[in-house]
Amino acid sequence: MLALLFILFGAMAVGCALAVVAQRNPLYSAISLVGVFISLACLYVMLAAPFIAAVQVVVYAGAIMVLVVFVIMLLNVEHEEPRRGRLKFLVPVAVVLAAVLIAEVAFILVSVQEFRVNPAAGASNVGLTHSIGSKLFTEYLLPFEITSILLLMAIVGAMTLARRGGLLSSTTRVVPGAQQLPLTMVDPTAEPDDMTGVKTDTTDEAARLLGIEGLRDQSKRD
Amino acid sequence: MDTAIDIALKFAAITVAFVVVLLIVAYTVLAERRILGFIQGRLGPNRVGYGGMLQPFADLLKFILKEDIVPDKSTRFIYFLAPVIATMAALMTMIVYPFGPETRIPFTSISIPLVIARFDVSLLYVLGITSIGVYGIMLAGWSSNNKYSLMGGLRSSAQMISYELPLGLSLIGVIVLAGTLDLARIVELQSGWHGARWFIFFQPLGFVIYLIAAIAETNRIPFDLPEAETELVAGYHTEYSAMKFALFFLAEYISMFTISMLATTLFLGGWNVPFAEDIFGRGTFLFGLVSAIGFLVKIICFLFLYIWLRGTLPRFRFDQLMNFGWKILLPLALLNIFLTATLIVFFPNL
Repeated sequence: MLALLFILFGAMAVGCALAVVAQRNPLYSAISLVGVFISLACLYVMLAAPFIAAVQVVVYAGAIMVLVVFVIMLLNVEHEEPRRGRLKFLVPVAVVLAAVLIAEVAFILVSVQEFRVNPAAGASNVGLTHSIGSKLFTEYLLPFEITSILLLMAIVGAMTLARRGGLLSSTTRVVPGAQQLPLTMVDPTAEPDDMTGVKTDTTDEAARLLGIEGLRDQSKRD
Repeated sequence: MDTAIDIALKFAAITVAFVVVLLIVAYTVLAERRILGFIQGRLGPNRVGYGGMLQPFADLLKFILKEDIVPDKSTRFIYFLAPVIATMAALMTMIVYPFGPETRIPFTSISIPLVIARFDVSLLYVLGITSIGVYGIMLAGWSSNNKYSLMGGLRSSAQMISYELPLGLSLIGVIVLAGTLDLARIVELQSGWHGARWFIFFQPLGFVIYLIAAIAETNRIPFDLPEAETELVAGYHTEYSAMKFALFFLAEYISMFTISMLATTLFLGGWNVPFAEDIFGRGTFLFGLVSAIGFLVKIICFLFLYIWLRGTLPRFRFDQLMNFGWKILLPLALLNIFLTATLIVFFPNL
């Protein structure tokens, strides 16, 4: 029974993984990747690690891949064009890396054969939420905190990048409602890095507040 | 041999649960139309059967008989896949909820738990499957090759990602109180005080946050921007017709049902009916029956709240929706976790 399920989910994982690489349409690849994550979660359940399985689905399939699909939909990426000739020098590197990977898998397969664990002894409560939680907050507290700092850095980095190029163009109109505007938005002649802000409801009012009414009309007449 | 019987029993239980839930869902649709009619000073459907009682079946027949139109330029495979994902994800969470306590079957000595699958991380399972449900709507919007559908799909994914965070965080207060992710155990922990030790009394803020985020997760008014008909025709399901549209329709109402189930299980004591155990005694058939009915009644109260809100509130604007989710709900949910943890540290016996 377990062997059958393992073969089923293993085959699903491998098939979906192949589809991720083989598909030309990026959206199909993304969906196949979701399939890989879900089959992996099923395998984790069979390995008596339900917490890891649930988190795999919640985090990877439910959050990260939703964002990936979201971006693909936003950019409306068309079918990927095969670019022959570019990055050709990477082919030997890929061959070497693949050889290393296959060697690793072979090594692990051999070493697993060597020491057989009694399955009954292996069925512990390691995978349960309670044991994972207490281990995380006692024995592995430092790695846990370092990981969270890493994630915090990613968030701060993303926000910095988003803010830098995120100024609206000079042709944008203001949506009603109080908001903070950069100077370049109301006055196209301003320096692009002038970050003077102004709180306003309309573009015209913003121009009046900044004292650049004349300038703005001038640029409109041009 | 025993495993075969076990599997057969599980399948039977799943079938019974699905049929009961689908019937309730069908009548929720009817109740919604009748109650909305009452709120808006009109009658609603009352012609098919006594008081419109057969209307859901008439609607179903109509959905089956209508022509199934597939847009010419759609991405065919994903277009067919999307409603299936939406319905399946909505139905799959049903199996982990405890419908009642362990109950003895009458005239025998066999006791069965009224829950289909009980495992260590059932709450996380519910959250995981719920987050898979987003794909149904997103892919429907993308594959229809229609700008209104795409806008609806984008809106819905942005909205669901944003409101999943306060939803998950509002549950952490309950998890901290209960010390487990097992839904059946969480319900058992609420059976003190003669069956009225519900977590809503310890987590009022968490409950309010959950309620708001849950309405947003199910794309219901006032958070139904993905299908705002004044701006997007019908949103993500503009190009869907006949049975495929019915699947989306069904998925929305099943998610309403399951999200009400989760609220009942976590905050309103699940199947705990006050004083039922004192009257009938633990483990008896009557106790099981009363508890299961109590569970369903609590869920139906939630469904009524949903319908009531639909008849009362106008729709959010999209920037208001995002501001509300990220700047109000999320900090409040974090505050709730902080308060709960602090109180537990200082009053561990509460």
